[in-house]
Amino acid sequence: MSGSDSGGLMSSAGLVRYFDAEDRNAIRMDPRTVVAAGMLFGVLILVLRAL
Amino acid sequence: MSWKETAEPVLTRMPTVARPEGHVPFKRKLLWTAGILVMYFFLTNVTLYGLQTTTQGGDFYGQFRSILAGASGSILQLGIGPIVTASIVLQLLGGADLLGLDTENDPRDQVLYQGLQKLLVVVMIILTGAPMVFASPLLSADPQVAQQLGIGGRGVEGLLFAQIFVGGILILFMDEIVSKWGVGSGVGLFIIAGVSQRLVGGLFSWSGLTPTASDGFVAVWIGIITGSAELPGSPLTADGLSAIFLGQGMILAMITTVLIFVVVVYAESVRVEIPLSHARVKGARGKFPVKLIYASVLPMILVRALQANLQFLGQILHSQWGGMPAWLGDYGNQGQVTEGLFWYLKPIQSPEEWMWFVGATVTAEWWQVLLRIGVDLTFMIVGGAIFAIFWVETTGMGPEATAQQIQNSGMQIPGFRRNPQVIEKVMERYIPQVTVIGGALVGLLAVMANMLGTIGQVSGTGLLLTVSITYKLYEEIAEEQLMEMHPMMRQMFGSE
Repeated sequence: MSGSDSGGLMSSAGLVRYFDAEDRNAIRMDPRTVVAAGMLFGVLILVLRAL
Repeated sequence: MSWKETAEPVLTRMPTVARPEGHVPFKRKLLWTAGILVMYFFLTNVTLYGLQTTTQGGDFYGQFRSILAGASGSILQLGIGPIVTASIVLQLLGGADLLGLDTENDPRDQVLYQGLQKLLVVVMIILTGAPMVFASPLLSADPQVAQQLGIGGRGVEGLLFAQIFVGGILILFMDEIVSKWGVGSGVGLFIIAGVSQRLVGGLFSWSGLTPTASDGFVAVWIGIITGSAELPGSPLTADGLSAIFLGQGMILAMITTVLIFVVVVYAESVRVEIPLSHARVKGARGKFPVKLIYASVLPMILVRALQANLQFLGQILHSQWGGMPAWLGDYGNQGQVTEGLFWYLKPIQSPEEWMWFVGATVTAEWWQVLLRIGVDLTFMIVGGAIFAIFWVETTGMGPEATAQQIQNSGMQIPGFRRNPQVIEKVMERYIPQVTVIGGALVGLLAVMANMLGTIGQVSGTGLLLTVSITYKLYEEIAEEQLMEMHPMMRQMFGSE
């Protein structure tokens, strides 16, 4: 049955809502880039602390 | 010119994580979710560079840490705090209809809403991060690092802030990745991760393995049964009984924890079902469930975050304003509030904080304690109901939005004309009432759980959130699997 309480937009505990609509101007990032950048940042701080 | 045109160039250019093109296989979704979880745990274990770790003053979020995720002194110091605070602001603006954004139908407004959401989170990262670093003794710069780099204490504080800022932004994007590429949402995932970790710790930690940890439930009871742990008296005396139930025995905490699990899972299944039938296909029937916890437990986190922010304000006032009057707040040497307005506003966290009749741990008068419980209850019940209403309105679960959804799916309520206004009228009989009752009930549950204590000090709200999010996650995974097996279902669920 469609149209139930989970209409695709809402996810569990979705405090931040994401819609399908997106602007052409928006800067898009690959999720892999985000994960790589985050991990690198963590490692960088670890290295800095160890120095 | 309305604010929309003015803000449009900024809001539409906020960086976003790209959406997957086409369908993401379920296994890939699980991989993304697990990957982000690993990244989250890794980052919570990276201590800030330039932080003085020898004089750890305590956690800013204190008892709120379990629901705000992150870890004190790590890159993820802020956790989901900024996201939650930004959400409060958006809920209040949206609930009062001040935004003037039609997120149901207008794609332009949806883009603006997304941008505004992100911008607000960034603002909140600065607003909560800056005072933590620059205006409070809890995160202090390491003088050694300051000397090495030759930039002084302020310079190192700047570095600390920069790291916390990056951590806050990372959390935001991690949430976006899970929402778009994984299962559930990042915020939910981080809450479950933190609470589960504490819960397992509270159950199974053993000081024989890690000397710094205190014994968990299982270790304590093995000790009591084998006689290696001393009770203050025979279990038949008042002292012994109180130790078993409230003290080291933690029986009461265990009962509360199990009870919350049972109550939430039960309440998830309590619903008013509105029958639906298809307008053209005879015999195609369905039900629209209005669940008792219709707005889910999520609005609760907003109320708690509001309380957390009030306590945060108190701490900042305390550290910056030497002449803070005692009626406003008096703080102990650990930075904990001991009396005054901020003490009354602070939610009860454990039995030791209010059970004046069993132990001597409560220093306040009994009427002061009762007043504080009253404030906490009022805050959570009234706040829970109000935020539940706002939540339902802003997330498209209100009578008007659901009536439109039902209409669009080609269903109707048998015995009524097929017309959105008519469906809305029927929905209005149930949704608002159920929302208010559900919100108030969840608020009451959270306070009760806190008063009786929980295993691992996860707090009532943390436990409620975890059980309810896990339940939702389970439903979502079941739905995903159904769609994997029957690709036709994808159309019916409307996800692609």
